Order: sequence, then C-alpha cells, then structure tokens
Amino acid sequence: MSFGRAWKIAARELRLGPRSPVFIWVLLLPLAMSFLISAVFGGLLDPDPRLGIVDLGSSEVTVAARELEGISVSLVSDAETLRDQVEAHDLDAGFVLAAGFDEAVRSGDEPELDFYISGESLASSRAILAVTTTDLVRGVGGQDPPVSVAVTPIGDEDFVPIGDRLLPIVVYYAVVMAALFLPASSILDEREKHTLDAVLVTPTTMREVLVGKGILGVLMGVALGVVSLALNQAMGERPLEVVLFLLVGSIMMAELGLILGSLVKDANSLYTAIKAGGVFIALPVIFIIWPTLPQWISKLAPTYYFLQPVYDIAVNGMALSDFWLEFAVACLISLALAPILLAVGRRAEIHLAWAA
Amino acid sequence: MADTGPAIDVKGISYSYGETLAVDKVSFAVAPGEIFGLLGPNGAGKSTTVKMLTGQLRPSHGSIRVLGMDTAEDLAAIQARIGVCFEEKNLYTAMSGVENLRFFASLFGIKDLDTDGLLERVDLASRGSDRVAGYSKGMRQRLMMARALINQPDVLFLDEPTDGLDPVSARTIQGLIRQEAERGAAVVLTTHDMYEADTLSDRVAFINQGAILALDAPETLKLRHGQRSVRIRARRGADEIEELVIPLEEVDAADAVQRAVTELDLLTIHTEEATLEDVFVAYAGRGLNA
Repeated sequence: MSFGRAWKIAARELRLGPRSPVFIWVLLLPLAMSFLISAVFGGLLDPDPRLGIVDLGSSEVTVAARELEGISVSLVSDAETLRDQVEAHDLDAGFVLAAGFDEAVRSGDEPELDFYISGESLASSRAILAVTTTDLVRGVGGQDPPVSVAVTPIGDEDFVPIGDRLLPIVVYYAVVMAALFLPASSILDEREKHTLDAVLVTPTTMREVLVGKGILGVLMGVALGVVSLALNQAMGERPLEVVLFLLVGSIMMAELGLILGSLVKDANSLYTAIKAGGVFIALPVIFIIWPTLPQWISKLAPTYYFLQPVYDIAVNGMALSDFWLEFAVACLISLALAPILLAVGRRAEIHLAWAA
Repeated sequence: MADTGPAIDVKGISYSYGETLAVDKVSFAVAPGEIFGLLGPNGAGKSTTVKMLTGQLRPSHGSIRVLGMDTAEDLAAIQARIGVCFEEKNLYTAMSGVENLRFFASLFGIKDLDTDGLLERVDLASRGSDRVAGYSKGMRQRLMMARALINQPDVLFLDEPTDGLDPVSARTIQGLIRQEAERGAAVVLTTHDMYEADTLSDRVAFINQGAILALDAPETLKLRHGQRSVRIRARRGADEIEELVIPLEEVDAADAVQRAVTELDLLTIHTEEATLEDVFVAYAGRGLNA
C-alpha cells in the first residue's frame, strides 16, 4: 500500500475538479444554499447587531457604545419602550443604565444591569452584544466585570432562529454530497469508462485507488463543511471540535460512497440508490429542524453521530465532552465499513476484468 | 527474480466465468524480443488469457511467470515492467495527451518522462496539449500505445492495437511494435486480424473455445496446412474468360504453368499461398468471424 500513489489518484481528481460538472455541482450546492439561507433568514447579509440603551444618567458606557463599529446603537427613552422594541425584534438586545451607574461601578458596588435579548435574534448577535456590553462596563470599572448581569430572555425562550435550524441541511449537503457523492461518482465513472483497468495494470492496487478517492471525499467534505458553517457564521466557539466531527463524518460518508460506487451498475443506479437511501441518511437533519419529533429515531441513522454533534457544538455551545459516545460510535462505524469496502472493491475489480 | 529464460512462461492455466470455462489448460512461452500473436475469434479466450498475464484475473489452475516472477506472488514488480494497450479506448478524456501520460508515469514513479519524445513516436507531438475528448479514434489509439510505452516495458501486451484504424495510424502502430521487439521487449499481440498477425508475429497461437489449437511460426503453419498454387486467367475466344488454378504441390506443376504461359492468351497470373485464416479453418473447422 503506497500512500504516495493514493495521493496521486486524489491529486488528479482535485486538479481535474473544475473540468467536471459533477464536481462543480457538489462544490456549489452547499455554498449556494448557504448564501440562500443567509439572504433569506439572516447571516451573511444581516445588518449589524442592534443594541438599545436606556441611559438614565449620562453614562460613559453609552458614549463608548456609540463609538463602536459593527454594532448599531440606539438610545431608547425608557425601560418599557426598550422591552417592547426587543420583544418586537426591532432590537436584538438592550439594557438599562440607572442614574449613577458609573459611580456605583467605580465605588465597587455591583449595580444590577437589566439586559434584554430578543428570542428571535441570531445566536451570533446575542453573543456579540453580551460580550460587548461586558467589555464596555469593564472599561468604566476595571478588569473584572464589576456588575452581575441578569439576562432576561423575552419572547419564546425555546425559539431557535430558522437560519440556525436550517444549518444542518447545509452541513448535510456539504459533507454528504462531497464526501459520499464525489468518490461514488468518481469510482463509477472509472468503472464505466474502463480507465480503472488501465490504472490497475500499473503497480497501483485497488486499495490505493479506493484510499485516493476516499482522500478526495474527506478533503472536500471537511473543507465544504467548514466553509458552509463559516459562511453562516456558525463555527461556534469550538471550531476544532466541529472540524473533528466533520472529519469523522466525512470519512464515514466517503467509505459509504466508495462502497456504493463499487457496487452499483451505472449512474442511474447510483442516483436511485442515493435518492432511496437519502431519506435515511438525512434523518437527523429532519429531526433537528423539527425538534418536537421523537429524537431517538434519528439515532438510527449513522449520520446522526456527526451531524447532531456538529450542530450542537456549532450552534448550541456544547462541547466534545458532551458527545464522547457519539464520537466513539462514529469511529466504530467508520472502522466497520473499512473491511466491507475492501471486499466490495475486490469484487468490483474482478467484475471490471470480466466486463472488459 | 532472475530474468533468464522466457519473458513469459505460461503453464496449464485455466479460468472460468462462473460455470463457463473461458480458458482451458493453456501453455506457451514467449522469448524476449519475440512478437507472439494470440489469434482467435471473439470469445475464444484470448483476452481472458492476457488478463491473467497482466494480473487483472487470477488463474484458477496453472502458473504464470513473467520476467521470471510469479504473477501470484510478485504482481506489483511485474506490473512495474509491463505495458498494456487495451482494445477499449480507456483514456481520461478530460485531460490532455500530456496530462494522461504524466499521470500514468507518476503511478510508475517516473518523474522525468520525456512526453515530447513519446508523443513524437506516435505522431501526436503537435496535439499533446489538446484534451483527449477532441482526439479521433486513431489518435486515441496512438496515445494508448504511447501510454503503454511510458515505463519502457520488458513485456508489451497489445489487444487489437490496430482494430478499425486508418492505414496511416495502423502503420504507425505496427512500426512501434517492431521497434519495441527490436529493443528486446517481448510482445503479446492479441488480434483477430490474420493479415496483421502474419506480417508482425514471429510465432502465433490459434486459440478457440479456450484451448490452443496450434502454435508455430506463421510461415510454418501455412506451409504445413495450406496449399500454394498459381491462379491464371486467360481469354478464350472473343468474350469468354478461363480461370486455371494449378496446385504447386503437384508433380507436374512447373510444366502445367509453362504450358499455360505459352499456349493461352493470358490476362493475369498470380501465385497464391494459404492464409492464416485458411490454417485456422483447418484447425477449428470454422472461420474467425463464424
């Protein structure tokens, strides 16, 4: 087994990618979806996070906030109006600065700061505004936050912005289409055009071909997954953990794709198989979009073991430590698929020689 | 691992596609520098035999040694020193001719391939940077031949290398085959074109229904099984034409020819000898296309 030769197989595919309509389609689909979701539901084309301030005592916090770039700051006359505007999602968040707030902070008292967040605001907007507010107050009073911030969600507490909820679709398309479909269509194309025959009479083995095409799928799956999440500003606070699950998921999908591409008779059979099996592997996406459905069903799909962790780590602020079991299951599925892939590859090699 | 002895040594190999026996206890040897023709109709077992030699299929019985190495044990080492030209035009059509050659060279671990020289040899020097999708059938075949020569193989397997080609492309390919044999490469030529096999091969093997029927030099086979004769066409009277065939094996053949030349109003006179097709029919009881 030569990884150098396997890499040459992968490198050829990557170099030729721009000449392949399938490659371009797989590349563009999740990116187009990201732009679409961002444009329709917020994200890339979002306005700056909108912060409302009720300042009852000419605080320095207000002055500093208005000088900030990337945040839209509005002064609101009273707390009641602020609550109404946040609830109506005219503002993403807002807070009330009581008279003498700055003095109280400097003297070491811990004045209460009422911070209102719109339930419909994007997770990224909430994070930005919460952190910014804390920094502004630090600027007045010192390094450690001298206030206890009481965050009061307004509106539907369980509301997840639709843009965030559609994220799994983008990740699904990025990882599944790139990691599964690219290797599957590539190996099938080489079988159909008999270019694989020519490769296999060089010192290259079927195992090296499979690994090479697997590398292609994994690289594209991870890259597209990262780009799609980044475009949706949803890499979260633990990007490495997200990438780890994207990697495991891409390996699993690439193996499934290679098995499929080695087994099916022709391109029509491949599309039929993907359409038929697509519902099954897309199961976790459906259950994330509709969280009221019984969630245990989605665990039946192998894709659950990376899609759910990616979603929860990227969007809900969870961590790898919450998903050790899922990580172990994903790794086990990938390991179990390897010998199946090798056996199917050997079968394809024999059938190839028979057919030529 | 030594290279002494035949370049290819096949002993009693068999292969079945499921229940169908495709190759049945075939044995032969090919020397370095020899052009060996494997002839037979479609489905005779030629391609299956070659696939076992190139490692694409594993024989169910028998043994194959290529360049002194066993295909069951040293396949990668063997494949590093062989070249294969398929009947199917299996090139990467989205890549240029040069890109195709460089990719396959990389699989052999060759970094300094002289693509210009190789393309020159197959008359494709001016089209090397064009995508293969735009190549004609003849150009694709010539590029496949160039691909088979990337690693300067010690054994060359050619499956119907001139099938359906124009005469110019066919001559280019045949010239290359002779050059490679002169270089010392053993060439296994699989074809059902008896004329090509006759003119190119040092020895030929007739294969039919998975078994070798005869194996020898083309000339020897033709002399052994064919009939040489002189065919004469002459004018008789105003508008009648007479045709005579005088077998040269007959005792008074020379006298008969002499008489015809002096006494008849000759139109044409040809010598005829048996073709490999005739010999094949003698062995198999049917023609190549039957």
